[in-house]
Amino acid sequence: MERMLAKEQIGDWIRTLRGWEVFGPVLQDGVWSYQPADTVQLDHPNTAQPPKGFAFPQREVFFTFEQIKGEPPRLTPVAPKGGQQVVFGVRPCDARGLPRMDRVFTETFDDVYYRTRRGSLAYVGLACNQPPSPHCFCKSVGGSPVSTEGLDVLMTDLGDRYLVAAVTATGEKLMQAAGDLLTEPTGVDRSEAGRLRLAAITHPQRAVNDVASVPPRLKKGFDSSLWEDLARPCISCGICTFLCPTCHCFDINDETNGSTPLKGSRVRTWDSCQFPDFTMHSSGHNPRETLGSRLRQRVCHKFQYFHENFGMFQCVGCGRCVAGCPVGIDIIAVVNQVAASAGEG
Amino acid sequence: MEESKMGDNIYLPQLARVIHIKEEVPGERSIKTFRVEFLNGGGFDHECGQCAMLSVFGRGESMISIASSPLDKEFKQFSIMRAGRVTTAFHDLEVGDVIGIRGPYGNGFPVDDWRGKNLVFIGGGCGLAPIWPVIQTAVKRRDDFKHITVFYGGRTARDIMYRAELEKLRSTAEVCLSVDKAEEGWEGFCGFVPANLMEKAPSSDNAIAITCGPPVMIKFVINNLRNLGFQDDHIYTTIENKMKCALGKCGRCNVGKDYVCVKGPVYSWADLKELPPEY
Repeated sequence: MERMLAKEQIGDWIRTLRGWEVFGPVLQDGVWSYQPADTVQLDHPNTAQPPKGFAFPQREVFFTFEQIKGEPPRLTPVAPKGGQQVVFGVRPCDARGLPRMDRVFTETFDDVYYRTRRGSLAYVGLACNQPPSPHCFCKSVGGSPVSTEGLDVLMTDLGDRYLVAAVTATGEKLMQAAGDLLTEPTGVDRSEAGRLRLAAITHPQRAVNDVASVPPRLKKGFDSSLWEDLARPCISCGICTFLCPTCHCFDINDETNGSTPLKGSRVRTWDSCQFPDFTMHSSGHNPRETLGSRLRQRVCHKFQYFHENFGMFQCVGCGRCVAGCPVGIDIIAVVNQVAASAGEG
Repeated sequence: MEESKMGDNIYLPQLARVIHIKEEVPGERSIKTFRVEFLNGGGFDHECGQCAMLSVFGRGESMISIASSPLDKEFKQFSIMRAGRVTTAFHDLEVGDVIGIRGPYGNGFPVDDWRGKNLVFIGGGCGLAPIWPVIQTAVKRRDDFKHITVFYGGRTARDIMYRAELEKLRSTAEVCLSVDKAEEGWEGFCGFVPANLMEKAPSSDNAIAITCGPPVMIKFVINNLRNLGFQDDHIYTTIENKMKCALGKCGRCNVGKDYVCVKGPVYSWADLKELPPEY
């Protein structure tokens, strides 16, 4: 289903979405983030953080416990807040993070917290007529500025109006709610959209070289001295993983707020493979002790291990980790250098 | 969402009561064995080598290998060295206290494939616990296996766990104990576990070797086993890494593409040597 929407009517469409909590990109103190919105103005480059927190919040209580010593505790699971959420303005790269997280959270062992949030979440995407960042490289990792993977609706900006295309059944429902606000596209609309799409797809981007050869080359390059060389400036701040639309590593801890009886909650929080104690055993032994071994883990997880397990890269090419790194570690350059060195001989 | 839909919750532990605590090893490397019984009709079956996520509420969770035999259905047993926050909380428990337990996790040793074989066990430190269910199963099904040898070492005689059980084992298996350095009253081997293995040099003929211990010990043991002629797919070990979820999601126990909590902890050397040495 493809329809047209006048730009000034996007707020009218949002008001038709009864029962949905609507979020859109908002600029506040110089930072773009997704906020609850009555209307949206989709002139953002990309948000500082990806929208992964809607399905996988940074902090989440699994259950609360209350226990008197020597007695069984009372465990009370904390269900995710109900209600459907729709996020406007999601960039195609970020949307592709969602099906990758689905693989992790719903296969093998089904995570009810993730599945519940994910099941009531819809993404209305915005195609990138221009790359929103100089570090965009979505095309290198199987994506595109007009990719629909992970989206429910894709909108294309035609200047004073949007071409609105449904991707999923949920997307169709969202569009049906708009009623007469959405109109049939004309031939001019379609050809203009086609021209913009072609321009977007052919726009030059930074690139991971010969990406199909990367997984076996990284495997071969495991012992490369480049890892330590390239990781030397790293300060283990973890911003690369914090900003990543696909990074899903987490910690689980007990937080207490009373001792007699014991009261508290078991809490999941985002964690980072870039932190030195992430893999440290209680004995002090650490399988990934060095900066290089931790950079290698981040890069190989995305470009080798995940590919070996799921047949897809766990990187969507948003470029946030490149732009956000305080010491200039650049995942594109790292992959290219290690892969090139492993290709020799 | 109603709470009823949260029924199938992989993070919610079952409850179990501590019914027996035994101090195996005193001092700074203290090891205690905890026997627990499920409450509320709960429970699960496990295979030799599988693990469980144990919690002391308010302190957190820790992945611990199940040290009791799968043939013991009434209880589960865990031998825990006091090392970090959660294991220290375990050492502070008393009989009657209630803990959380979820599992079983990971794979097990392919014990049924080893019928008719000689079994050589090599353990060090608290690394005897993960292979103890295999030893017990082999003893209980004694006719299924040929010669059984158990190598085990501690830093000192005080660090030897399962001391009484090991002495009892001598009636059905060859038991070769060691301590790192000579000490008064010690009549067994003096030196590291890999050296004791070379000294006794068990035959690799029709034999399976099963080893667990500190990472550095495992490394030397595997090297020595290969020198003794053991084939890579006849050497088994069980590895540990830091874990939080035990469900292949939290991202810290991976060795290359494998999450140890799901694909491991049991590996043949033939499989393990293909993975990066991040354990």
